[in-house]
Amino acid sequence: MYNYEWDRLKTWLDQYGVITDDVKVPEDITRIDLSGNSLKEIPNSFGMLTKLIVLNLSNNSLKELPQSMKNLSNLSNIDIRRNKFTELPDVFSSMSLRSLNASGNKISDISNLSDCKELRVLDMSSNSLKNIDGIFSSNNEIHSLNLSFNFLKDLSSVFPVLTKLVRLNLNGNLIKELHKSISKLISLEELDIADNHLEIIDDSFFSLGVENINFTANRLKSLDLRDLNSLEIITLDENPLERLSLSDDFAPYLREISCDGCGLKEFILPASKMLERICYSYNEIVEVPKEIINYQELQELDIDENNIINLPDTLANLLNLNTLYINGNPLSENAKKIISILDPEICDINMKSGITIESAKEEDLQEMAELLSVLFEIESDFEINFDKQYEGIKYLFESSGSNLIVAKHNDHVVGMVTMQRLISSAEGNFIGQIEDLVVKEDYRKMGVGSRLINKMRSIAQDYGYKRIQLAADINNDNALQFYTRRGLNRTQLSIYHFTI
Amino acid sequence: MKAKETILKMQICECGEKNVSDAIDIFQNTSLPFKKAKKLVTECNKSCCRTALLKVYDMSLYGKYDYEEISYIIEQRLERLKRLAEGD
Repeated sequence: MYNYEWDRLKTWLDQYGVITDDVKVPEDITRIDLSGNSLKEIPNSFGMLTKLIVLNLSNNSLKELPQSMKNLSNLSNIDIRRNKFTELPDVFSSMSLRSLNASGNKISDISNLSDCKELRVLDMSSNSLKNIDGIFSSNNEIHSLNLSFNFLKDLSSVFPVLTKLVRLNLNGNLIKELHKSISKLISLEELDIADNHLEIIDDSFFSLGVENINFTANRLKSLDLRDLNSLEIITLDENPLERLSLSDDFAPYLREISCDGCGLKEFILPASKMLERICYSYNEIVEVPKEIINYQELQELDIDENNIINLPDTLANLLNLNTLYINGNPLSENAKKIISILDPEICDINMKSGITIESAKEEDLQEMAELLSVLFEIESDFEINFDKQYEGIKYLFESSGSNLIVAKHNDHVVGMVTMQRLISSAEGNFIGQIEDLVVKEDYRKMGVGSRLINKMRSIAQDYGYKRIQLAADINNDNALQFYTRRGLNRTQLSIYHFTI
Repeated sequence: MKAKETILKMQICECGEKNVSDAIDIFQNTSLPFKKAKKLVTECNKSCCRTALLKVYDMSLYGKYDYEEISYIIEQRLERLKRLAEGD
């Protein structure tokens, strides 16, 4: 029998290009992505998609969902981010939802969720929640809960039932106190409670097995850190700390501590010997203690904008310390000597300021051709020949579909990159071929290469290129690492050439 | 949907009086990590515009800007500030 209702629904789905030709009956559909279509309503016949498991309705203009969706008993993952819901649709209570993302609506009431007992992942960030008391039953399965950027003041009655919660994001609410009921979050590993009004943390908090805590931008004035035996990362930035003490048993496996802009007068020494990163910038610290030598795993030390004059000799013996931010301190000559002995890969006092990234001008071409010789010294496939390189750069400069970007310092070219427009049959569109990325040796480890490639990516995006690509010498390990770290994926292709 | 040019002119940080275009410019011209680069924009220690700036910083890092996303985050923040001022 011909099913008119299905035919109409199929036509509706087809216009958004969300189903394939092999879909014959409603039961063939298990996943649908209708995101970003400015939808104001979903057809009532949607409920016939009874095998639907995953549904993405994000970035539309929906205010409600049809009652027929109560039939979607297999739907376990729904995304209604960035719509216009003011309350959670009641159809959810009939579903076996395991993951719900309702971020970026105007929802103030989530009482419908009390029937969603299988829910594991819930994102209600950027809504209008003021109170969520009584929403979760004692046998809930919530593992990940994002309530950031709401108007919540007190969660003390909610914590006792969230015993399976692993990740909790409360960033940007109005919470003043971590009540003793937080000790019931026995599975908690990550807590982000930045940008709240936190003044009081109950003692019971320190018995938790949490691994990562973010207390940034609260109102903490006094803090006695202890226990937290599983803690690896703690961020306390921008709290008006008048008193901060760390007991010897605090976080034995701590890897990162950050306490920027807290008014610290002393360099705090956590007991953990596994510390890899210490950030105490924008404080009033006058001395780095010689005991810093105990942190042999330390890779990054950020103590800029303090009142430090001298540094301990022991600092130079921290063999893993490769990043040092120490600008904005009245450093003595001896302290500068210690830094030069340490010779970290990245150090802000060695960074040159005033390096600009700009489009190449005709007067830059000569210096660019000279700079290419630095690159061709590394790349064995090419030979250094200034005249050829100058001609090549000049051709590029004059041809349409090419971009030449330079890094300049004191009016001299210190870095460069080029991009040529190609047509890709694979992409069916234009792509950008990146070449000639090189930075003068004295200007390396300052992020100049990153800035050049970022600028070129931005230009490629403006042109609407579908991809950028480049070739790198397989023996140039630095270059290969550089590109990988910046998100470029290595392909299976090799380059062949034939000289004509 | 707002035009890219309109979004570039939207104010992203009141303290530093910077618009989206200024922030992109600053982030493109520094190799400092976010916490430090943010201060170049805000010229202060406050955290009010951190979320929007972090988004722009990440986009600068990957060289791909989603202007609609930037606009959405700024508007969300302004609406939130308005509600807080109204006593929410």
